Amino acid sequence: MKEHLEQICMTVNGVPRKFVIGDGVGCVSPSETLLDTIRDRLGLTAAKRSCEHGACGCCTVIVDGDAVASCMVLTADCDGSSVTTLEGLCDPVTGELSPLQKAFADNSAFQCGFCTPGIIMSTKALLDQNPNPTEKELTEALSGNYCRCISHYQVIRTVMGFINEMKRKEA
Amino acid sequence: MKKFDHIKVRSYEEASRVVREGNGAVEPIAGGTDLLGTLKDRLLPDYPEAVVSLKGIAGSRYIEEKDGMLAIGAGTTLKQIAESPLVKDYCQALSEAACSVASPLIRSTATIGGNVCQDVRCWYYRYPDSIGGRLECKRKGGDTCYAIAGENRYHSIFGGMCTGGSSCQHACPAGTDIPGYMAKIRENDWAGAADIFFKYNPMPMMTSRVCPHGCTQHCNQSVYGESVNIPAVERTLGDYILKHKEEYYKAPHKETGKKCAIIGAGPGGLTAAFYLRSAGHQVTVYDSHEKPGGVLRYGIPHYRLPKTIVDEFCQALETLMGIRFVMNTTVGRDVTVEQIKADNDAVYFGTGAWSQPVLGLEGENLTEFGLNFLEEVNTYLKKAMGENVLVCGGGNVAMDVALTACRLGAKSVKLVCLEQRGEMPASEEEIQMALEEGVELYNGWGLGKVLESEGKVKGLLAKRCLSVRDENGRFAPKYHEEDTMELASDFIILATGQKVELSFLGDHLSSQIKTSRGLIDADAQSGRTRAQGYYAGGDAVTGPDLAIRAIAAGRNAARTMNLDLRPENGGEQQSAEGAEELAKERFTTFNVEGVERTKAVRPGELPASERSLTGEDRSSLDQEQAKQEACRCLHCACYAVNPSDITPVLVMEGARIVTTERTLSAKELFTSKLTVQDILHRGELVTEIRIPRASGETHYDKRRVRNAIDFAIVSLASAFEAEDAVVKSCRLVLGGVAPVPYELPEVEAYLRGKEITPETAAQAGEIAMKHAFAMSGNEYKIFMCKDAIYNRVMEAGR
Repeated sequence: MKEHLEQICMTVNGVPRKFVIGDGVGCVSPSETLLDTIRDRLGLTAAKRSCEHGACGCCTVIVDGDAVASCMVLTADCDGSSVTTLEGLCDPVTGELSPLQKAFADNSAFQCGFCTPGIIMSTKALLDQNPNPTEKELTEALSGNYCRCISHYQVIRTVMGFINEMKRKEA
Repeated sequence: MKKFDHIKVRSYEEASRVVREGNGAVEPIAGGTDLLGTLKDRLLPDYPEAVVSLKGIAGSRYIEEKDGMLAIGAGTTLKQIAESPLVKDYCQALSEAACSVASPLIRSTATIGGNVCQDVRCWYYRYPDSIGGRLECKRKGGDTCYAIAGENRYHSIFGGMCTGGSSCQHACPAGTDIPGYMAKIRENDWAGAADIFFKYNPMPMMTSRVCPHGCTQHCNQSVYGESVNIPAVERTLGDYILKHKEEYYKAPHKETGKKCAIIGAGPGGLTAAFYLRSAGHQVTVYDSHEKPGGVLRYGIPHYRLPKTIVDEFCQALETLMGIRFVMNTTVGRDVTVEQIKADNDAVYFGTGAWSQPVLGLEGENLTEFGLNFLEEVNTYLKKAMGENVLVCGGGNVAMDVALTACRLGAKSVKLVCLEQRGEMPASEEEIQMALEEGVELYNGWGLGKVLESEGKVKGLLAKRCLSVRDENGRFAPKYHEEDTMELASDFIILATGQKVELSFLGDHLSSQIKTSRGLIDADAQSGRTRAQGYYAGGDAVTGPDLAIRAIAAGRNAARTMNLDLRPENGGEQQSAEGAEELAKERFTTFNVEGVERTKAVRPGELPASERSLTGEDRSSLDQEQAKQEACRCLHCACYAVNPSDITPVLVMEGARIVTTERTLSAKELFTSKLTVQDILHRGELVTEIRIPRASGETHYDKRRVRNAIDFAIVSLASAFEAEDAVVKSCRLVLGGVAPVPYELPEVEAYLRGKEITPETAAQAGEIAMKHAFAMSGNEYKIFMCKDAIYNRVMEAGR
């Protein structure tokens, strides 16, 4: 195959990152997924490794505004992308949780919590694009995030409540 | 994931080139949501060395109006399509279909180009390599489809689709479409079965009796139980053909005025004669024997192939077809090859292998030659021989000789051969039969010398054979010279092979077409020799081999001769017919109960005590029995369903697919072959999809187990134009129910002009399912389809 030392740049949680794609030490393998890179290289372990087929949503991160299954994206394909993980939602200085995260915590919108980072990221991507979704739209946006503890009911209640709260605050 | 390289490109042209030059080792990757799953689970035997990423191609994501059509770049994500007002405006169904794919997480990455090229979701196909190894199913170039007799609840309800033939067909030297004629027999269409059979072989009544049928060893029914009894079904078909011989052995409609000569009236020569005569040429067959049939008449014993059948077949060729036979004529002695050539436009040599090879054995001159022995017995039905017969050889001819000796009344028959029991070239069935009739086997012994006393055979000195073949598999027996044994016998028959004899060619022709190995030098495919107008095939070209190979060679040579004689009637016409036929018989079906039967139907067989020299050992199956056996054929093909939600809509809308090389209709690309990859060339990439503005209201209805992630169990792409509850026009295409999107032209024709009522809606569903074929576990899909169609039709009336 061809000789190359391909370099890619992406922003992860606001921090510019450079990776060299290749087989050498410290390089990102051409067949490495975005999930592997953020977890194993950047230590951002909120996104979970689970089904590895994009079916469960536990690895959800936001890439260029859209929620994606990071296990089904090659890091080598992310040149120029802006990636946000759950870690990127809280205040970078104080570490304070974002209002959305707080809402999940305050309302116990989780059970074991394994799927929660993915659910929060899907919710975040939806609210960024559509701050005032209907419950149906929310359900659809979260349809790729599985929860085996059946926390969905609390999640929907929490997020709808959160949306109303935001609206009230704005008003 | 196992490692692969990642190649960035800037344009489709560059990507195409990289894939093409990768020679199968480079895969294009778009969104990756399908391909990465395939690679993670190592589903396919081939793993790419590199992927070429289409993501970086600028301007590959767009949705715009172009020349009055909606144009969508192949790199556009399904999310963009689902949300686009322009798509909704042009074709609501496409918007709904895109929105129904998987989940938002996948739709934000997956592209429309990747979606239409995606691989199936069959659970046998996708069985991960990490858990006990992937399954080499039919779709992966393996033998069979595990869903046929397995778990098939999500599989096709319209049958399977085959690319590249089945394993039994591949095992047949003549390439006979065995599943094809079996399917016809299941429908009780014996004429149809005969038509298929005749494309490959004009004498099933012979081959069913004499061919070792290697096909049965490759029959996938043997995974579950006994192989399909292909010879028995073939024999019944042969009986049918002989009973209707006037329809199958006919003089041609039109004479071409060209003349062909066939030298050798054996299976290969007669096959060539049949196809050449059918094509309208005048055919003359020369043979040194008294009657035609060659080895079928003189080599094969009566109890295996009654000579009345050979007579009937040869008479049909002569009297019904008008093939001329010149018998009792030894070419090279009574007439020269040049004389024959001077009278004809083309000559075919199917002269076989009839000579005795000299082994150089001490006392060899006192032995009998196996083929001569058979020839004499087959001609006169008697033969003076000793009491204690010893047959040398381990092939089918040796078995025929041994059995014939038994049935002639020999006191004892011994058979000695180099091979161990398991490596004998004779078929197991033949060996069993010989054992049953009292033949004693001596395996692993070579011939030392003939023991004699005063010119009379006393026996054979055999020496231990250590190995038959060398490490390269070549015949090179090794002996232990000291380890010997004496086998007493007063009549030794050598059935250790036959030799090709070509002196009849004459010096001039010999110098042109004879090989150093003493065979005729002819192209294996075309039968052409280096001498113009001369063709050859069968044992004379290959050395001693099976009749079915000679038949295949005769057929292939006849095709070439026909082409060479009438170049103006090229092969194109044939291929056009072939394509039409293929389209008609697109989906394969099988018998759901039949494939579960693990025991083969067996014809009646005489007990060993009643077998004779002349009576046939085995009887034929009647048509009903043969049909039952044909029902056991799995009709190996791929029974998975098309996974894409987008393709049914594109087919329904008459979309055009632009690739790096051409523009194809959605129908051609997505429905004419099993996979899109069967149509696209290596490196050909989909770049744009063009959709005309939909007339009427379009929808995509999808039924699945869960509302997210899952693929369709049944989906319906529809377009309706209705006025006052009367259908003006409609288009309906089902997805998830057949290997490719399934169009419903009969339903469309039925609904046109109809008032929409619950009755018409229900009837539409019934018509749609007219050709449905439920497998053991998926009949529910038929009800689901009817329901989807009913609801959509009723909805159109609102």
